[in-house]
Amino acid sequence: MPLWVGPVASYVAQGLWTTLLLALVSIVASVLLGTVLGTLLTLPQLWVRAVVRAYVEIWRGLPIIITLFFIFFVLPVLGIEVDTFLAAAIGLALWGSANVAEVVRGAVQSVPRGQSEAAAALGFPWQRRMRHVILPQATRRALPPLVGLVVNLTQQTSLAAVIGLLDVLEASQRSIERLTLAGGETHAVPILGAVLVVFFVICLPLTILSRRLERVLQ
Amino acid sequence: MFLAQGYDFQPGFVFDHLPALAHGLLRTLAISAIGMAGALVVGLVLGALSALRVPVVRQVIRCYVEVFRNTPLLVQIFFLYFALPDIGLQLSGFTVGWLSLLLWGGAYTVENFRAGFEAVEHGYVEACRALGFSRLSAFRQTNVPLGWRIALPSVTNILISVFKNSSFMIAISYPELTETAIGIVAVSFRVFELFAAIGIVYLGLVWLMSLGTQAVERRFAIPGGH
Repeated sequence: MPLWVGPVASYVAQGLWTTLLLALVSIVASVLLGTVLGTLLTLPQLWVRAVVRAYVEIWRGLPIIITLFFIFFVLPVLGIEVDTFLAAAIGLALWGSANVAEVVRGAVQSVPRGQSEAAAALGFPWQRRMRHVILPQATRRALPPLVGLVVNLTQQTSLAAVIGLLDVLEASQRSIERLTLAGGETHAVPILGAVLVVFFVICLPLTILSRRLERVLQ
Repeated sequence: MFLAQGYDFQPGFVFDHLPALAHGLLRTLAISAIGMAGALVVGLVLGALSALRVPVVRQVIRCYVEVFRNTPLLVQIFFLYFALPDIGLQLSGFTVGWLSLLLWGGAYTVENFRAGFEAVEHGYVEACRALGFSRLSAFRQTNVPLGWRIALPSVTNILISVFKNSSFMIAISYPELTETAIGIVAVSFRVFELFAAIGIVYLGLVWLMSLGTQAVERRFAIPGGH
């Protein structure tokens, strides 16, 4: 094996940890926040829906990279020290939660009305109707698209490299630059190829899982 | 709010940079238009080949779809721009721009069209075959005209994503709208003015596109479902 492979591999592996941590944080934040927002979208109060709808439309409609840069530049204006990990996590969570909210709203509204009405007739208040009747059924419909979103968010974490986070992509990019400076050869094909393989290995099983869930649950 | 901390909002600032931003927008529209049109053609052709179950071809298409759907678009862009020159293929920012969008979008539209063609009710195809149509012309007469309409809503979603993802080209310093605007922010720190401006442009165009595609979807919806 050529000499450069060892150091580059361990450097890029460190970046991979950052990527995985960022993916985990933004997925958890997106699912938690998105579930709440999606449920709010099914409420009868018009003003609640209008506020949440505006949030969803803005963060879903904007290119995610613009959201990331916006957060990155706005944090210092708000007096918060710039941290690329935090900026990336917030940006990804804004985009992710808006998408999760749409999935959850669709799933909740796909549960037949009679289910909720029957529970109401039995004297269940709203919270318990949601918890015991609507959400268990909605989860089955929401699960396949949610797994798809997890794949999407994992891939979008690579955008953090553009605002300078030392993730797997940025680490490989810096390795390529150093190799070029040191020996003239970039080795960009094997290094970037390896990054592609890493993402592929993470995402393919999840994609297959999403497809299988769709078949099993519907 | 944050503006109270002494941030002095000057919307007029954007107008000083209007020519540069307009130029960026043109580049965004150019790479998006080629990428979207290409993704549409790739999706239709490969989707049809996939649905026709041509052996070998179907498996090759499957590989293309899985590779491009399960890796990040940004890494694909980096590979095209930074790795291909090593094997003697130097592509310009513009070429990488539309080509990466075409390849990425195509991988999604192939799947959508294939699913659309395969969702066409089997009875129609059987009726065609019973009337003596060949397999290929039965496909042309039933699966294609009905299937593309079934696929339309999911395809238009992908095409809108292709437009939004043209902003990824900032990573290779191709001066489209996002790159131009961020470049100005980086030297002027006019964060809110510029983000408001490009935010309105992107959201406005996305909104216009979804209005347009909704009209197209209504026009071509299959009466009575499928």
